[in-house]
Formats: sequence, structure tokens, C-alpha cells
Amino acid sequence: MMDELDLLKKDWQRKGDYFPKVSSDEIHQMIWKKSSSIVKWIFIISILEFIIPHLFYLFPPSMQLKEGFEMYDRMGITPWFIGASVLQYSIIFYFLYQFYRRYKEISVLDNAKALMAKILKTKKTVTYYIITSLTFLFMTCVFIAGYFYFMDDIEQVLQLPENAKKISPTKLKNIFAGSILVLGIIATVCFGGLYYLIYGLLLRKLNRNFRELKKMEM
Amino acid sequence: MDQKLEQHFVALLEENQNIVHKVCSLYTHDQDAHKDLFQEITIQLWKAYPKFRGDSKFSTWMYRVALNTAITLYRKSKKRVRTQDYDSVIFKIKTEDYDPTEEQQLKLMYKAIRQLNDIDKALVFLYLEDKNYKEIAETMGISEVNARVKMNRVKNKLRTILNP
Repeated sequence: MMDELDLLKKDWQRKGDYFPKVSSDEIHQMIWKKSSSIVKWIFIISILEFIIPHLFYLFPPSMQLKEGFEMYDRMGITPWFIGASVLQYSIIFYFLYQFYRRYKEISVLDNAKALMAKILKTKKTVTYYIITSLTFLFMTCVFIAGYFYFMDDIEQVLQLPENAKKISPTKLKNIFAGSILVLGIIATVCFGGLYYLIYGLLLRKLNRNFRELKKMEM
Repeated sequence: MDQKLEQHFVALLEENQNIVHKVCSLYTHDQDAHKDLFQEITIQLWKAYPKFRGDSKFSTWMYRVALNTAITLYRKSKKRVRTQDYDSVIFKIKTEDYDPTEEQQLKLMYKAIRQLNDIDKALVFLYLEDKNYKEIAETMGISEVNARVKMNRVKNKLRTILNP
């Protein structure tokens, strides 16, 4: 009896003749359609991740910005705020540049393992960016909470309404510091969770196949 | 990209489309998904075409792009409802020397292959396309020895399915 695999191979060679033929017109139309590849989605999502949070800072209503700076002045943290912003934007541009470099390295002509490794490396750049951003966000909250906690003249700095002055300054400090800390924790966990959910779903298949290829080398 | 390049590409793909169809038949379960993957592979081939230098055969170059798309880049669309069972559509191969036992064996074999994971499917595909282990190793990015060991395991697995 013919070996099953030989039989399969023979059948496989014939198999091509039984597929419905795609015409040249259809191919012409197909090549201009939009790709739905993982790389494209990683690119779109990552760019949104870079841009969206900063739209809030880049285009604030002028009054808010002015009031914000007045408050920072009263708190005496304006130089810190400017320094932190410069550091933050330097980090963003550094990561954007790294991300662009990684993205350009991806080529469908690589071998399967190299292609997967490059996509995962690109995604890792975004992961590092997210971790840095979340750390930055959380540390800012901790810093502000600490500042409120150790502040002596909280009513004056925040220019609170009269009825708020009835509350004891210690209680007020605790409320402000505690709320900012809790908000910081919630924001960090939510953004982190959302991020893992998006990429987890997007890269599930790719991660599985990459693990499978790596397993072969062990 | 100019029109001439596009026409050249379309003609080459039309001639070699069976390779893409075969990859799609292994990695999808219904006709809609088959069309979807065919389209994504076509887009990726077209995007990479300016880098095709012609020092290898167009078909050889296609294997890499088609497999990379199927196992790495392609995201299944979830919007569709599963239609007709794909096995019954694709494997209606009738020839003059039609043998029902053989047909049954083949059906079982194809069913078994399509239960393999994405990477094993790629190895089987390249084996069925008569690629040597060097080419298989190069396409997958693994060593030749590992490709051989893994392929032997997959072959034994398939044999066991047919001869329990």
C-alpha cells in the first residue's frame, strides 16, 4: 500500500486545480484594499497611546493654564513643574523615535521567527513607554499628595471657599492627600489594565506561535 | 508604484495563486475567512513586491510572505457567521482513478492537519510543497536539525491518526 503521506503529497499537488480562480481584475481591486494586519493595528493603537493623553496638556483652555500656573506659583513648585514637563516630553520623543525605528525594521520578508521577534520588540518599546508614563503619573500623584500632607497653609494656597475653612486644616490635608493618592492608584491601575487588555487580545496568536517556535529550539 | 509594476505583479500572482489558496485552505475554516486571508496575503505581497529582486523564483518568494501573513500578521475577522463546513467544499477532489478508501484516508488526513497548531501546519505545508529541510528551516527561522526532528514528529502523529 502506498504510504499515506505520499498519497497526501500526490493529492496536494493536484489540489490547486480545484480552487476557484481569482481573476486579474479581482487581484487589482484587492491590492488597494486596507490591510488588517497586526502590525498596522499595533501602529495605530501605539500612536493613539502616544498622542491622546497629551492632547489634554497641549491644548488646554488658556484660563485653566493661567490658573494652573498661578496655583503652582502659590505652591512654589513652578520650577519643578517646568522641569517635570521638559523631562516628560523628552521621554515621549525618545520613545516615539525608538518606536518608529522598531516599526520600520519590521519586514514580511524576514523568516517567521525573526518577524515575530521584531513585532514583539516593537510592542515592547510601547510597553516600556506605558510603564514609564504610568510610573510618572503615579509618582506625580504621590509627590502632590505628600506636598499637601506636609503643607502648612493649605486654605491659602488652594483659595478654598469660606465654608471649607470650617474644616480643620489637618483633616483637610488628609482629605486632599488621600484623594489624590487614591485617584493616582485608580488611574494607574485602569490605564495599565486597559493596555494589557488591548495588547493581550491583539497579540494572543502571535505570542502563542512565537512560543511554539522557541520551544523547537530547546 | 507605477501601472506597469502593478500589471506585472497581478499577472504573476494570477499565475501562482494556487500557493495562496493552499495556505488559506490550511489556516481557515470557511469560505469567507479563506477570501479574507487571500486578500490580506495579496496586500502583503503587493506591499513587499518592490523588494522582490527576481534572484529567486516568484513562487519561492511567495511562500515566505504567505506563511508569515497566515501565522503572524493575520487577524481573524470576528464579524461573520460560520457558513458551510469548509472540508466538504474543498476536498471534493474526484479523479478518474477515484478510490473511496483513499478519499476517506485523505479526508481524515486533512482533518488531522487542520487540527495542528499554526507552526506545525506551516511545516506540513512546506513538506507537502516538496521543500527541502534547508528551505523549511530558512522560512521558519529555526535550525535544519530542529525542522527535521519536528517534521518527523508531525509525520508520525499524522500516521498514528490514520492507523490507530
